[in-house]
Amino acid sequence: MCNLVPVALTVGANRIVPTISIPYPLGDPLTPKEQQYKLRYHRVGVALDALTTEIEDQTVFKVKF
Amino acid sequence: MKKAVHYINQFFAGIGGEEMADYKPEIREGLVGPSLALNSMIDAEVTHTIICGDNFMGTHTDEAVEEILKFLEGIDFDIFIAGPAFNAGRYGVACGTICKAVKEKFNVEAITSMNEENPGVDMFKKDIYIFKGGKSAAKLRDDVKKMADFANKILNGKKTGSADEEGFFERGIRSQVWLDDKKTAARRGVEMLIKKLNNEEFVTELPIPKQDRVDIAHPIKDLSKANIALVTTGGIVPVENPDRIQSASATRWGKYDISNLERLESGVYKTIHAGFDPAAADADPNVILPLDVMKEYLREGKIGKLHKYFYSTVGTGTTQKEASRMGKEIVEELKKDKVDGVILVST
Amino acid sequence: MKLEIGNFYVKDVLFGEETSYKDGILTINKEDALAFIKEDEHITDVDIEIAKPGENTRIVPVKEAVEPRVRPDGRSTFPGVTGELEACGNGRVHALKGVSVLGVGMHYGSFGDGLIDMGGEGAKYTLFSQLINICIVADTDEEFERFEQQKKNRAIRWATHRFAEYLGNIVKEMDPETIDVFELDPILKREENVSKLPSVVLVMQPQSQMEELGYNDLVYGWDMNKYLPTFMHPNEVLDGALISGSFMPASSKWSTYDFQNFPTIKELYKEHGKSINFLGVIMSNLNVSLEQKKRSSIFVAQMAKSLGADGAIVTEEGYGNPDADYIMCIRALEDVGVKTVGISNECTGRDGASQPLVTLDEKADALVSTGNVSELIELPKADRVIGELEALARDGLSGGWSYDEILGPSVREDGSIIMENNAMFCGDGISGGSIKTMKEF
Repeated sequence: MCNLVPVALTVGANRIVPTISIPYPLGDPLTPKEQQYKLRYHRVGVALDALTTEIEDQTVFKVKF
Repeated sequence: MKKAVHYINQFFAGIGGEEMADYKPEIREGLVGPSLALNSMIDAEVTHTIICGDNFMGTHTDEAVEEILKFLEGIDFDIFIAGPAFNAGRYGVACGTICKAVKEKFNVEAITSMNEENPGVDMFKKDIYIFKGGKSAAKLRDDVKKMADFANKILNGKKTGSADEEGFFERGIRSQVWLDDKKTAARRGVEMLIKKLNNEEFVTELPIPKQDRVDIAHPIKDLSKANIALVTTGGIVPVENPDRIQSASATRWGKYDISNLERLESGVYKTIHAGFDPAAADADPNVILPLDVMKEYLREGKIGKLHKYFYSTVGTGTTQKEASRMGKEIVEELKKDKVDGVILVST
Repeated sequence: MKLEIGNFYVKDVLFGEETSYKDGILTINKEDALAFIKEDEHITDVDIEIAKPGENTRIVPVKEAVEPRVRPDGRSTFPGVTGELEACGNGRVHALKGVSVLGVGMHYGSFGDGLIDMGGEGAKYTLFSQLINICIVADTDEEFERFEQQKKNRAIRWATHRFAEYLGNIVKEMDPETIDVFELDPILKREENVSKLPSVVLVMQPQSQMEELGYNDLVYGWDMNKYLPTFMHPNEVLDGALISGSFMPASSKWSTYDFQNFPTIKELYKEHGKSINFLGVIMSNLNVSLEQKKRSSIFVAQMAKSLGADGAIVTEEGYGNPDADYIMCIRALEDVGVKTVGISNECTGRDGASQPLVTLDEKADALVSTGNVSELIELPKADRVIGELEALARDGLSGGWSYDEILGPSVREDGSIIMENNAMFCGDGISGGSIKTMKEF
């Protein structure tokens, strides 16, 4: 999970889930705690599902929020 | 006088061609074939010549290497030279194989020479000095001279130049140099741009290297039975940073027990990563290490188990070599603890 | 826009009775100068020391460098910083050449601070060893950050800008020894023999990655974290519109002195009308999220294309994740047909074997490399230290460390040091002054 997807692609990561920034990948401090939690829960969930997904090439998984 | 050992194949030793390519390793005192030329150009005495058939080295590699290293154990030498191998593929691979093994075991520089089309170049250029050689034995003296000239710099303790200046294949080791003509980066950049605009040839100072590819891991079949671990390069550690992980150019990593925690509390955990503004992660470390939601997924049964420890280091200014070593060390632990999958959060 | 920089070539700097400039000798009345610096009540303790090229002197922790300047017409030298906001880039400015004012911590350093050796083996690592450095060595009341690794260093940095203007004032009414003229006609009103040449923009990416304000480079006093790419005149950069920040590891930094003398701008000026038509500067920034990085590259490429640029030079104040901004911007320009050259340093590791930039793209096929931030440098003890040597090891300077099981601490008991190039003050000359490159070994 990372924000700088081009870096992850360059170093050869295969399952990539985008995060929202470098200093706070999984929760924007300017938003309420509940919203941060919701975002984190969603994106980590996408990452867990990615671990179960068959892929053939480097893949950046889509996130909703 | 310093001493050198030279490796050649059965053909250049005058033993025979293809029919003798299974010739077993042999060591002879003194000079054989191309060693004569080498001995006349190098500031050392070539005390021994090692001969091995190309096919023997190719098919019984371990045995051949072991035998040759055993020959060398009792011998005092300062430098190891192999070839030149020109465009002879098996000979090139043999030279590369033995140079690498000798360099690792005896910690002496090992030098060889091949043509750019020799498959041995790509296999070994990162491990040893391979000089750019001719296509065939017609270039023997030239190729030996290039190796000898460079060997002489090493033997005489002189500073060696860049791959370009010396004529060896780039080893993937970059270092800063001060330009003799003192031409500034500004001037070089403007000149490069003018050439590019005029469709003239220009030489980049940073060739884009080929990208690394990692084998794709098989998917986890049943997540609800899987053991998942959290790893981060975002520098999350207990506030006292017990493993003294560096905040930049890290060489250390730590593991911290989270089995009895529901989330990482501010003031108990923080980030020591110096490459970004730490305020948000210090206020809520879960934004980098998402323990709170992993515990929820555990309660829900989406994952079978959350690994007892999380692993942490810092990914700013950290060299690829250190990062790769730390990654391997962490993977060792994860494998031992039967972890099935990892969520790696980087910053 | 026409900028005249009137040069006064300083040959020596002395303390004396009367603050004055005569025959190349800059004399400073120390008492008056200290009183001026102390007008800022946040400066709790201060001394001024002079370091000259060739001396066996080590300066650390250096936070900022500024060329002393003044405007004869009374406008502030650094608008929005040392005085009221005014437009830069036009008219006359007087500059004391061959000297810089350094802001040095009396005790404490921070992540972006650096080291300068004036003589010996260490001198080759930074161009600042070739200047006479007038060092403000100060302590402040900024208790909130005293033991923080990241410091805004506001009081010391502002003292440096203010004092540079104070020294500039000495030559305010005098006739300069030489005058450099920087002039570009409006883009659409250039002579045909100029406008027919290939058009070139310079894209600058100053450091602006700290989301908390106060650490970043400033443009006309404005924090560049809250900023989108803008078209600027190169004269504005040379004339005090930009102020260096306090975040980037020292060797990758553009100090204010770098902005005032930006070598890449000067080289583009040299070729203007000869081999290129220098359109101006697209002033971008550096960001921390992918979306921000992309947004800036979109703005830059659009502006370059709309301005009719055939070529561009992109240069970044930084390394590490800023490489993503840098490569993305180069790619965005190439994608719209602008032929681009990049100028930056690299982080190739202490062993020289790491991937040089964190992102790579085959379209970035014309790059100038100015050094490797992580090369190890070992230097003997210096006779004299300006500042506090221990800061290099103790205070989290990028490139210094207090503990390493193999290398030991950066500062050894005998006064010798071991550090990464990272901590050399402006050591990689990314503004264009670097005479270093990177080669394969």
